[in-house]
Amino acid sequence: MPSRPLPGDGLLDAHRADTLRARRRTVYSQPGWNMSSRQPKEMRDATRTPTSSDTEGRDDLDRMLSAVALRDRAAFETLYRRTSPKIFAICIKVLRDRSEAEDTLQDVYVTAWNQAATFNPQLSSALTWLGTIARNRAIDRIRRRRTVSLDETTVEEIVDESPTPAALAQLSQERQRLELCLQALPDIQRNAIREAFFTGSSYAELAARMSVPLGTMKSWIRRSLMQLKTCLER
Amino acid sequence: MNTPASSDEKDLRCAEYVLGVLSDEERREIELAMQQEAGMAESLARWQARLMPLNEDVAEVMPPSHVWDRLQAQLGWTQTGRRAGLWNSLSFWRWTGLTSVVAACALAIVLTRTVLHEAEAPPAGPQYLVATLERQGAGAAWTATVDAQHAQIVVVPPRDFAIAANHSTQMWMIPPGSKPVSLGVIDPQRPTIVHVAQAQLQQLGTQTTLAVSLEPQGGSPTGQPTGPVLAAGRVEGI
Repeated sequence: MPSRPLPGDGLLDAHRADTLRARRRTVYSQPGWNMSSRQPKEMRDATRTPTSSDTEGRDDLDRMLSAVALRDRAAFETLYRRTSPKIFAICIKVLRDRSEAEDTLQDVYVTAWNQAATFNPQLSSALTWLGTIARNRAIDRIRRRRTVSLDETTVEEIVDESPTPAALAQLSQERQRLELCLQALPDIQRNAIREAFFTGSSYAELAARMSVPLGTMKSWIRRSLMQLKTCLER
Repeated sequence: MNTPASSDEKDLRCAEYVLGVLSDEERREIELAMQQEAGMAESLARWQARLMPLNEDVAEVMPPSHVWDRLQAQLGWTQTGRRAGLWNSLSFWRWTGLTSVVAACALAIVLTRTVLHEAEAPPAGPQYLVATLERQGAGAAWTATVDAQHAQIVVVPPRDFAIAANHSTQMWMIPPGSKPVSLGVIDPQRPTIVHVAQAQLQQLGTQTTLAVSLEPQGGSPTGQPTGPVLAAGRVEGI
């Protein structure tokens, strides 16, 4: 997140490159990892408490976006400089095509300029707002592709790993809470949720990729979403 | 529209939308419902807050500098050229777009010009309807003035609005309980006069919703909105 340095991302990346395959089998069986939502304490202990600079960075971006609503070009440029690396990464993740991701990135910030007045800092952070636009644009784009170009890539390569406890400790409190709730789901459902979020795939595509009937995939995802909601509201 | 009835089911649809598992058509339904149904926008916002932290898992990638250059060009920040004439003056039209009532007055000017041009008798008491198309409840964006007698609508786009060159903005009317009916592609940056067929005009009443969606260049290939709904609003009498 550009609102603050993100050592977690770099860490995650390096970790991914080194031990992608190895970790897949071992990570969930580590003691203290497959924890239920009743045991959040040990994870909380391992986490960094958010520093005041986190909140400041986030507030900064929110203020910038509010200034953009008042047609402040300088604020827009700063907002772009600070947030575009994250937004670009989100576009690449879903589209898996750099040139399409560039077009989408441009589209996202044109939308941001046009619709900044719809941003409500009480409901959302600037980064969540921009990330939402980016995901919506990227997903709309892949839905319109004639064929799903996943043939060359195996499922192994595109399924995302949950962050390691060390990497997770560098992320926001919201992200850590979400991870606790994700870990409370059955493995296969958690994988389906991550796969869905990071690839932007439709139910039909997910069912085909994970070789289960469409109805099964739908009920996995819907049940997981309801469980996540209950868990996060606790 | 195939909108689920119970509020739990609606909330779940919002969750599916945010997660990204719905089809193109289902996504459009949710976007339309968000404009029309109470609670949908809030439900979507809550799901965004719940799921978007996952984006933190994605490692940042620095975009190439030409994206910023293209972005500035698209927003018109690199041009200094002046436009000539009141009709082509964007600031004039944006000013007129401030309120529906003012837009209706602008239409009167348009009508006068048309009448002078065609040397026909002016219509007695033309009936106007107006719609302010709002962007997710954040105030006026597009303004539409319906001139029923001449079967046309003057559409004024919002200030500082721009879209990618490979996209178009398309206007739709949605009579109550019906599917959207295309009124054609409109200019994203300049006021457009949309001509309405008589059959469509009959359906254009005060319960009708007008909407603008983002479409591939030249308009929706399917006859139904395929891109995000940018703004929507109910037609009202004046």
